[in-house]
Amino acid sequence: MLDLIFLAFIGYVLVLGLRRPFLWVLLYVYIDILAPQRIGYSIISTLPVSLIAFAAAFGGWLALDRKDGARFTLRQGLMAALLLYCGWTTGNADFAEAAATKWDWVWKALLFAIFLPLTLTTRARIEGLALVLLLSVATIVIGTGLKTVLGGGGYENLKFFVNDNSGIYESSTLATVAIGLIPMLWWFVRHGTVFRPHWAVTGFAVALTFACLLVPIGTEARTGLLCIAALGGLMLRYTRRRFLFIAGAAVLGLTALPFLPQSYYDRMSTLAEPGGDESASTRMAVWEWTIDYAADKPFGGGFDAYRGNRFAYTMPVKEVAGNTTSVRYQEVVDEGRAYHSSVFEMLGEQGWPGLIMWLTLHLLGLWQMERIQRRWRAAEGEAERWIAPLAAALQMGAVIYLVGALFQGIAYQPVMLMLVGLQIGLHSYCKRIDSAQRLLARSTARKALIGDKVHGAVTA
Amino acid sequence: MIDYFALALGHGLIAIALLRLVLREGLDADPLIGSITSEAADNRKATSVAGRNEARRAKGSDAGDPDDPRAQAANR
Repeated sequence: MLDLIFLAFIGYVLVLGLRRPFLWVLLYVYIDILAPQRIGYSIISTLPVSLIAFAAAFGGWLALDRKDGARFTLRQGLMAALLLYCGWTTGNADFAEAAATKWDWVWKALLFAIFLPLTLTTRARIEGLALVLLLSVATIVIGTGLKTVLGGGGYENLKFFVNDNSGIYESSTLATVAIGLIPMLWWFVRHGTVFRPHWAVTGFAVALTFACLLVPIGTEARTGLLCIAALGGLMLRYTRRRFLFIAGAAVLGLTALPFLPQSYYDRMSTLAEPGGDESASTRMAVWEWTIDYAADKPFGGGFDAYRGNRFAYTMPVKEVAGNTTSVRYQEVVDEGRAYHSSVFEMLGEQGWPGLIMWLTLHLLGLWQMERIQRRWRAAEGEAERWIAPLAAALQMGAVIYLVGALFQGIAYQPVMLMLVGLQIGLHSYCKRIDSAQRLLARSTARKALIGDKVHGAVTA
Repeated sequence: MIDYFALALGHGLIAIALLRLVLREGLDADPLIGSITSEAADNRKATSVAGRNEARRAKGSDAGDPDDPRAQAANR
């Protein structure tokens, strides 16, 4: 039954796309994020829906789209270079089979992110992509939030639609993405044109924000807490009454504390003393190993090169006997531990060139969003005043992602690459407005000059 | 049950959003950029010799047709 509903929905979008092929791009975004083929279990899981949607999106753009204003930009070039480089390292990988498995989804995510900005040529398309991205993630977040409120959370206990710990259905990744999308959600409340500002939109946004904040609590993902802190810090920039904001956040945080389960405190307390937790201790050891590895292999070891690591470290183990607590140091040997950080993921897998490309891609995005904000901050007209706040929301989302990425191996997270595509689309769109306005100013000046000449000749 | 509710709400909202996008005028051609470029094109046409000649010819032919209401208005 569920399969049929998913298929009917996909069919509905495919039909709508016959009139506007851009909708097929949005269909791929929806399928890539929500993965309905993995939620369903009969017919839909046997169909290559993702491939169908990609073929429709790309074919529709190639054959039917106007392509006015489609530009290939520097950041798309960087992603294309990264894609080629990843292809090369995959060919020379330490673990060929594992590398091929990861390459299988990474190239698709990168290729789609390179393609996406070419389709984002109008305001409605930029908003449409942002909305479908947000609502697809919201579908997962609403379920997660409700389950947390009604009880049933816990690290690796909370059930998502898909429970294979992959893609966005991994608790820390979902927490990062959910928190990162909050600024964009509030952009829709003020500047949305598909769903115009209305009390129902505001109500939905309040509930969804609450659900997003519940994701790190429900899944007990520590990284999510850091992302919330980053979001709070970033919001200070856009808040007029800063002290009131800080006081309000503190009161809200303190009010929430009694409602949190003990298991949450236990897990979060390991943030302050990373030595007491194996997951945190291994991170340090893996990061040190990666730096040594990159010294040996500066061009990287290909995807999943971490499988070759093996290290021993001492970890304190607390033992409670009656009233006394003794701490014993125990040697732990670990093998094949994942990077737990996108920076080290890039360094280990793609070496220094890959890391530099990845960092440049994201830092350039932050800088471009900053420039757009400054350029369009004073815009008053209805057609332009949405630009600066969207750039601010995308910048905040990117910073939150980077904070989360410091502690998770999510360097090629498809949702984040789509956000990169959205940033590029917005940047190109602003540049097009600027160049059109320059041309208009030049032609107006020329018209005035000729008008003066003609007028002068007539009076003479 | 919660899963079904979340899926229904999410899909319902996406379905409405997509329908509204399809029916929207500015999805394939941006109205803001379109208006700026058409204004610039008008300016260019008004300043180019060919454009001015064309406008003059149009005016002349309009004036020459007595049945044309625009020409009558121009003559008045």
